[in-house]
Amino acid sequence: MTTTTQPRQWFLQLLQHAPGADADVALPWLRKARAHAADALAKLPLPDRKQEAWRYTNIDGLLQTNFTPSREELVALQAEDIESWLLEATQSYRVVFANGRFLPALSHFMNLPEGVVIGSVRQALSRDPHALAIWFGQTANHSDDVFTALNPALCNDGLYVHVKPGVTLARPIEVLYLNLEVDAPLLIQPRNVVVLERGARAQLLERYMSTGESNYFHNGVSEILLEDNASLTHLRLQQESRQAYHRQQSFLAQGAQSQYDFTNLSLGGKWARHDLQVRFQAEQAKCQTRGLYLVGDGQLQDHHLNILHTKPGNSSDHHYKGILYGKGRGVFDGRILVGKEAQHTSARLVNNNLLLSREAEIDTKPQLEIHADAVSCSHGTTVSQLDPEQLFYLRSRGIATSLATQLLCEGFAAEILTTLALPSVQGYANRIIQKLLHHVGDNREHIHYATATTQP
Amino acid sequence: MLEIQDLKVNVAGKPILTGLTLQVRAGEVHAIMGPNGSGKSTLAHVLAGRDGYDVVGGSVLFDGANLLELATEERAVRGIFLAMQYPVELPGVSTMVFLREAFNAQRRARGEVELDAVEFIQRVRDKAKAMQMDDALLKRSVNTGFSGGEKKRNEILQMSLFEPKLAILDETDSGLDIDALRIVADGVNALRSPQRATLIITHYPRLLDYIAPDHVHVLAKGRIVLSGDMALAKQLEVKGYTWIDQEVAA
Repeated sequence: MTTTTQPRQWFLQLLQHAPGADADVALPWLRKARAHAADALAKLPLPDRKQEAWRYTNIDGLLQTNFTPSREELVALQAEDIESWLLEATQSYRVVFANGRFLPALSHFMNLPEGVVIGSVRQALSRDPHALAIWFGQTANHSDDVFTALNPALCNDGLYVHVKPGVTLARPIEVLYLNLEVDAPLLIQPRNVVVLERGARAQLLERYMSTGESNYFHNGVSEILLEDNASLTHLRLQQESRQAYHRQQSFLAQGAQSQYDFTNLSLGGKWARHDLQVRFQAEQAKCQTRGLYLVGDGQLQDHHLNILHTKPGNSSDHHYKGILYGKGRGVFDGRILVGKEAQHTSARLVNNNLLLSREAEIDTKPQLEIHADAVSCSHGTTVSQLDPEQLFYLRSRGIATSLATQLLCEGFAAEILTTLALPSVQGYANRIIQKLLHHVGDNREHIHYATATTQP
Repeated sequence: MLEIQDLKVNVAGKPILTGLTLQVRAGEVHAIMGPNGSGKSTLAHVLAGRDGYDVVGGSVLFDGANLLELATEERAVRGIFLAMQYPVELPGVSTMVFLREAFNAQRRARGEVELDAVEFIQRVRDKAKAMQMDDALLKRSVNTGFSGGEKKRNEILQMSLFEPKLAILDETDSGLDIDALRIVADGVNALRSPQRATLIITHYPRLLDYIAPDHVHVLAKGRIVLSGDMALAKQLEVKGYTWIDQEVAA
């Protein structure tokens, strides 16, 4: 599976798998988007350590693998095969993707209110391509980043949500991106389009999971458009295999008085990077993001925020916390840009990290670029270790070091987990994280315990 | 129960305990008094197993076992409890979860039956009520944002919940008002039994008025220089510690 291909070749080779021109013949806009993407792939600078956005994100491992785009629909998959992956008793609209392809038989949208479309991009392309054409590429920028450019060149499926003005979805939309182990490494390229028109409200739960040690590259692009007064609550839970490469670039555009409440739980993958760009298009909108990443041996978790306050009077608040153990590596790159016209912007950016071992590493870079004068902005970053005083306290009450470590890590994570977007899945999220942290606490070789400083 | 023989402890190469000998039998309450820097807190920490202390001589037996060889948590499950002078805050760790994990860890280790959640919560509530501790504190993170007095109360709550064989109170009385002092004293007195013992480390004799220890010791320059009963504490109340220094020097 390894290759010595030049990086540029790696990208261009993937284009061989692009859908034939005839597939999109009826859709000139898509053909154009694909051609533009192919063009960009040949020209865009390739990620390397000299670029700020890729300074700490090594892609060598990724480029050493030959991925083949996922084509087959896993029609043989039955409901009982995925039952264990579904949330219990969640009253939701469910959209299931297996290896990047929509599975209508396992999805359900019963009692969908008038004015709501939930389904796949592939369906939308055949049923109502003109509606999709309005939104496709509207908030995303394909000319900066080669992975983002790769997506439209090859994408042929993904989540499509369209909510008409004033409609409230009472139940959450649960999206399961399930990756099943196959013989050759797959390239999974979902393209998600979520549009909430004026005053529409919805909740979105995205889960990225894999079976066994699936080795694949998920290269997703999401476009989320919130028109005036729209509100989206969004929880993203990434718990993929320790062999998976995962890149997700999300573009969010917010209209006046719209609200976006996002929690990002990044727990799995070998190499996982999430980029979120937020663009305020009018005034009085609110954007809140919360993140928690757990990173251990052989893992990279990378988060990039690019918050563009180009209009006045919007507020945004971003808080990411990370627990790193063993040789885990983390990157947090948070940028808030406040443009000249963006007076009365309120923005806060916080990143806290708990490093459990000497070998774990976090590169954290909060950046505030402020060009307006009447704004309220702040940022803060901390990197700390397990506090020996706290450990001693717990142990002096009879709690073993492993459980004490787990409790302290849970305490560190609690700030994010107790304010979870979508409280209905809080119990589920807590259980997953407790289980992971239990494992962390039990592996003493992944943890460095500092000695308490003594006072006589 | 506790036999400390000629204990010598260094901190960062500096001798702090210089040959401390003390015997505490089941059923007894001992008070250790002494000026600042005499080694009182070092003694408490060494008994609880806090690291950073070099034991360079002597021995400590607890129920016949070599205490110094046991891990901190092992000492706790065998019945040693240290009420700390400066209880640390544990943000995000729920007080109720912490109490239950600790309580059940101790029970498990001793082969006793764990309490289920309902029984346990009821027991904690009852204890907290007896100590006039606000129920709301139990819902918060351990010690987080607690006042000094609330932190001390939380220590005594744990003591009365865990019912240790040997309770060590490290300056639990410092910074407390009279009402809080009474609660601490009530907690200690409630645990008095022929099977248990208490070691009260204090700078001030005031707490002892409510507890009436069986033995009072004065620690100076890392060893016990005087032992007596409540009369000794009374003497210290009147005369302070300076005369001790002169006596030791003499």
